[in-house]
Amino acid sequence: MKTVSGTRRGLKWAGNVLLALLLFWTLVPFYWMIATSLKKDREIYGYEATLVPRQPTLEAYARLFRQTPFLKYVRNSTIIAVATTLASLVLGSLGAYALARLRFPGRAVIARGLVFTYLVPPALLFIPLFAVMSALRLTDTHEGLILAYLGFTVPFCTWLLMGYFRSVPLEMEEAALVDGCSRLQTLVRIILPMSLPALAVVAFFSFTQAWNEFLYANVFVNSVEVRTITTGLTLFIVEDVFFWGPMMGAACLSTIPPILIYLIFQRWVVKGLTLGAVKG
Amino acid sequence: MALRADPTGAYPEGILVATAPRAGRSSRARRREARLAFAILSPTCLVILGLVAYPFLAAIYLSFQHKMIGAPARFAGLANYLELFRDEVFLRTAYNSVLYTTVSVAIKFVLGLTMALILDQERRFNHLFRTLLFVPWAVPIVIVALDWRWIFDDLSGLLNNLLLTLHLTRNIISWLSDPSLAMGCVIAVVVWAGTPFYAMTFLAGLQAIPRELYEAAEIDGASVIQQFAYVTVPRLRTIFLTTVMLSTIWTATNLQFVLILTRGGPASRTEIFPHLAYETTLMARRLGMGAAVTLVFVPFLVILIVLLTRRMLRPVDE
Repeated sequence: MKTVSGTRRGLKWAGNVLLALLLFWTLVPFYWMIATSLKKDREIYGYEATLVPRQPTLEAYARLFRQTPFLKYVRNSTIIAVATTLASLVLGSLGAYALARLRFPGRAVIARGLVFTYLVPPALLFIPLFAVMSALRLTDTHEGLILAYLGFTVPFCTWLLMGYFRSVPLEMEEAALVDGCSRLQTLVRIILPMSLPALAVVAFFSFTQAWNEFLYANVFVNSVEVRTITTGLTLFIVEDVFFWGPMMGAACLSTIPPILIYLIFQRWVVKGLTLGAVKG
Repeated sequence: MALRADPTGAYPEGILVATAPRAGRSSRARRREARLAFAILSPTCLVILGLVAYPFLAAIYLSFQHKMIGAPARFAGLANYLELFRDEVFLRTAYNSVLYTTVSVAIKFVLGLTMALILDQERRFNHLFRTLLFVPWAVPIVIVALDWRWIFDDLSGLLNNLLLTLHLTRNIISWLSDPSLAMGCVIAVVVWAGTPFYAMTFLAGLQAIPRELYEAAEIDGASVIQQFAYVTVPRLRTIFLTTVMLSTIWTATNLQFVLILTRGGPASRTEIFPHLAYETTLMARRLGMGAAVTLVFVPFLVILIVLLTRRMLRPVDE
């Protein structure tokens, strides 16, 4: 018995040491991002480069707002992420209701198709989708990008909600149907209010995925009027010259929304993750 | 409240299958039900068909064409594929992709499991530590990649500055343009961004293991290592598999790390499939060839996707 508790103590120590190392490894890049955004140019480059900003300044942020279209990018990302989220919630709820509660031929095939489509990565689809978007004149539009994002948010939302709807007890719905409610009324008045946690997860993932997406945004959009933050950030690189100060400032600011949402939804995130919601 | 749909098996009750009662219903009612189902499912089906199924088939068609962006297509037969298999860069890319994916996934697995085991120990402020360690997961990958590119910067980056300050090196190291270091650096960044995903799913699995199992094993005289091998690992096997398969798909097809860190260089040392497809399509403007590059990659992915689909639907199909 003594040896076991000895091993336990040893493990605890090893755990603490490893934890410290992992925290260092995880947090240093954040430090560097924030520190850089608070420096003057001369502290960023060359021989006078510092590890800790000597005179912290918000100059880089001022430049970001005054001299770059950063706010436009933020606006576009917000429009696109919110619209994608709302559309995924509506389409996902309807589709999931049909799959969970209604009986019709082809149900199993559609359920299978959903998961399969969700797993097909954008890297396989962007080339032909680019052709589709060009043909439909949807390149360089908010609508085009929203539509493209629905390709991965809708299958996931439908699939996740389907599983959840099935776990909602039937009694209340049956009573409502007997009382003359229509099918869709039972969905809106009974199932959806009981599925708020699942709806939260779905909203969280749709928003984050749309906000963080890069490949489609890069390929389907060229104009400043539609460009989102993720692709906008790479424009701070001009012909191999990097404007690190404003870029790191922009990086800090555009990381805030996903991190905030992550902190709020934290306890639900893990469930969604195990469902394969994130491309990690 | 826990969500029930759970392919990883952490919540073994699975999905409760339940449909409305259907005793003694007429065929007319049933037809009406099917009509409603198709009506409300049609947008979802349109999305699947239009945004995934059609483009996928279109890619196959495109790969048999000589097609430049903005120019008419010419039938090419297998020409694109034959050209690829003779191309040295392509063969290099195939090798790199396998190396990059396996090493990244392996390291993420080990590190993620370590992280999960540490966070599963009892400790003050564990909640805070967990939140901090998982934060990289929420950061957009573009930002991760840009931040690390800046850390690796030759003259002004954090890494070289730190090494010089600590007198660990006297010369500046060109992390991302040294052929022998570039791939390692890319993998390090992929690991930094991807480990939390593993740790999160593993931790969820660890916390679902009843403590009594460990207590019983301990009474039977099992050492800590034996407990890990005979209690922990078997319980996590499903989660291991699902996580690794999902992560393999996303890791292998991620464009952003390589695009931002190295652009496939130096001398194609970090060229991988998604980036080669991107370059071929958007820089060389060869749509047909780009499609061929992605498609060569498909068989491996499809195997994983089919296996995963089956796993994720298992409770439904029962």
